[in-house]
Amino acid sequence: MKNSYRIALAGNPNCGKTTIFNALTGARQHVGNYPGVTVESKSGKFVLNGAEIELIDLPGVYSLSSSSPEEEVVFDELTKPGIDLIINVVDSTIPQRSLYLTTQLAELHIPMLLAFNMADDAEKKGLKYDFAKLEKYFGSPIVQTVGCKSSGVQNLLKRLASTLEELDDHGVPMLTYGADIDDAIKAVSDKIDELNLDICKFIPSRFYAIKLLEHDSSAMKIKALEPVQEEVTCQIKHLLDKHAIKAETFMADCRYAMLAGACRDTISRTGEKRREISDKIDMVMTNKFLGFPLFLLIMYVTFWFTFTCADPLMGYIEEFFGWLGELVKGVWAEEKLPYLRSMVTDGIIGGVGGVIVFLPNILFLFFAIAILEESGYMSRAAFVMDGIMRKFGLQGKSFVPLVLGFGCTVPAIMATRTIESQRDRTVTIMVLPLMSCGARLPIYALIIPAFFAEKYQAFTMWGIYVIGIVIALIAARIMKATLFKGDGEVYLMELPPYRMPTFQSLMLHMWDRGKMYLQKAGTIILATSIILYICNTFPQKKTFEKDYGKLIEQVQNGKSLTDAQIKILEDGKIISGEVLASARESKALPQEFLDGLAENKVKLTPEQQSVIDAAQTLNDDVAALENEQAAEEMEYTISGRIGKVLEPIFRPLGFDWKIATATIGALAAKEVFVSQMGILYAEGEADEKSVTLREKLVKRYTPLQAFCVMLFCLLSIPCLATLAIIRRELNSWKMTFIEGAGLFLLAYIVTLVVYQVGTILKIGTNLIG
Amino acid sequence: MAEKKCSCGCCCNSGKTKEYNVSGDEKQCTLADLPVGTKATIVKIMPQARGSKKFADVGIVPGSELLIEAHAPFGGLIRVKVMETSMAIHKDEAANIVMEEDSNIITEKDKD
Repeated sequence: MKNSYRIALAGNPNCGKTTIFNALTGARQHVGNYPGVTVESKSGKFVLNGAEIELIDLPGVYSLSSSSPEEEVVFDELTKPGIDLIINVVDSTIPQRSLYLTTQLAELHIPMLLAFNMADDAEKKGLKYDFAKLEKYFGSPIVQTVGCKSSGVQNLLKRLASTLEELDDHGVPMLTYGADIDDAIKAVSDKIDELNLDICKFIPSRFYAIKLLEHDSSAMKIKALEPVQEEVTCQIKHLLDKHAIKAETFMADCRYAMLAGACRDTISRTGEKRREISDKIDMVMTNKFLGFPLFLLIMYVTFWFTFTCADPLMGYIEEFFGWLGELVKGVWAEEKLPYLRSMVTDGIIGGVGGVIVFLPNILFLFFAIAILEESGYMSRAAFVMDGIMRKFGLQGKSFVPLVLGFGCTVPAIMATRTIESQRDRTVTIMVLPLMSCGARLPIYALIIPAFFAEKYQAFTMWGIYVIGIVIALIAARIMKATLFKGDGEVYLMELPPYRMPTFQSLMLHMWDRGKMYLQKAGTIILATSIILYICNTFPQKKTFEKDYGKLIEQVQNGKSLTDAQIKILEDGKIISGEVLASARESKALPQEFLDGLAENKVKLTPEQQSVIDAAQTLNDDVAALENEQAAEEMEYTISGRIGKVLEPIFRPLGFDWKIATATIGALAAKEVFVSQMGILYAEGEADEKSVTLREKLVKRYTPLQAFCVMLFCLLSIPCLATLAIIRRELNSWKMTFIEGAGLFLLAYIVTLVVYQVGTILKIGTNLIG
Repeated sequence: MAEKKCSCGCCCNSGKTKEYNVSGDEKQCTLADLPVGTKATIVKIMPQARGSKKFADVGIVPGSELLIEAHAPFGGLIRVKVMETSMAIHKDEAANIVMEEDSNIITEKDKD
């Protein structure tokens, strides 16, 4: 035995390949990307009897025909030197279909190990295999596995070890295609042999000959094979003329015929062929009338599950970051590097914490979606929704990514990889940012309860989401009619039988996607938090238009409470203990205490009330001056200056310079909007539940302005991470630029129209506060 | 399953005006015309069909038997069972697949 092996795991889509991969490698996986194409590459390592094994999980394919990016990847990966063994995972419940790929893998003449997966299901179905005969037929050892049970994988490991020991004398036989075709193959492969090519050192020339005769694009792309092209054309013509054989699909025909023969000898069916449970479920799920309502119900349950489960966890995380901030503040003395201290506590912990708070939501949504995907329902949803989506220039497979977009746009864009048609995929990616993502939720949560009456709140929230969806569908329709005209790819989608997902694969699936969200929090959000902190703090204003310190002092002196007034409260047992002591010293009442009184609706006598009122006026006047000072400081900073410059541009939308800076910050990440508004309104640690920030907003803005803010945030790009992922997935800077600028223009124009029309019609133009 | 047959003995959805999408060959109809529940065999795939290789790789080749399982709620897609696997294909492509119904099979299977 060597001490390291490279093993490729190949098989059809939905054959349970990934489950086996997960069971073998566990968490030791590396998920990456094949260069140039958007196919995920997965590899993992494990040790078997002292030998290190690198396992490559190839994408699931039906054939080695390069009629999809996945198939091209498999072709390239397997024809590269260095693969010691192919483990071909075969769904043993449908042998005939699964073995079709096996016939082509055999042509590569790489040692193979066949894993007949889902052996338990096959047994239930009444399938009996003569493995001795099958092993002889394919010249490869066969092992039965049950991917979702660890015991099933033990067999595979045992057999793998013995196979690796006998690697040198494997005997994958040549499968024949019948006399005419075999002659043609021989003629072409002889020509290839004459060329004496490097590529044929690992892979027999016969494989390339077959692929060339099949018009396989991957094989035709190989430069070294060009000299034989003439011979190939000649042979294809010969087959077509003499035997009326269209080589392109005839090979497929022959393979099925071969398999039919092989299966007849080796597989027997006992028991009657009953309708499977899966088909029964589908009688309802994809029913012409029930399918759509059921789909809506399942979507509703998914979202309900997500929000109900995530809510308590979000509270804990929020508390944790609050506690962490306080802890750092406590340990870090105020005198030591005060700017860095407040940047770490307010900027970084606040900013990154604000994003991580949404992690439970995102994880639960992805968990729910993983259940739908792994159980097989997602392909049914695509089937049910295809008709509607097509009317808008999208297709059934666009649907899943669009739903994911409500969670986070970044993994949603990754999920568009299942769409084979490049055109449909591009359109789906382009409209995805319009699905209102989780990061915009805090903005709505801040604004809606402040500006809209309770009975309209849910409706407004729903309305915002619907506006996003409607604009996305219209945009898709327009793009399909203009930029992306013409027929797409041929549509073909498997609806695999329903299966119970394994917990491990659900967790892995959830984590793969959730990780991206965390990465975003760790990189982009961290960077913008720091940048925004600097912009909001520097340069610092030293000389003010007014001497605020003196003014505040004047107010305090003039309006402070007298001892008699404090006595009134003391006698009425309104204040006592610490509050009393501080009132005596400062001649004022703390604002939290006054708020508490108002909130608890404490009954007061007219005398007591007048004292409270006096205390309130004092506090208000001081706060007004402090805010004025903060505002002046703010205007002097980089943010304030940028905001002032941009104000004329945003004025027609109803935005003042504060909203303008918050909106610009929010282009980096939408979560930033709330914290930025909080800072601008000098509200220490603002989160979306901050009542005082809401009160301030209500006093400053009209409901129409507030609605326009939400609209603008909904329609503009969700975050920089989205642009980065669009660039990667579409592999084009131009498209990325068009997307970013296009969404900005869209947001600007729509908001402009809404604000101007609203102003003329006087809808929501009155201040509430 | 009600067995309706048009005069040509094939599987066209009878009742209303009969439509033949196959020019010059009146004995067969295409996959796009078959009602749900029919079992039929592929006779040929029209030369102008797109993606014939892709279809061949999943077993949609002349001679294989298909079961029409469902039509999508809002049109467009047809779900067929081919070699024990359910596949969704689009009507436009299905219109290029010429079928012949095997009436014996349908009566036999639908009894249970």
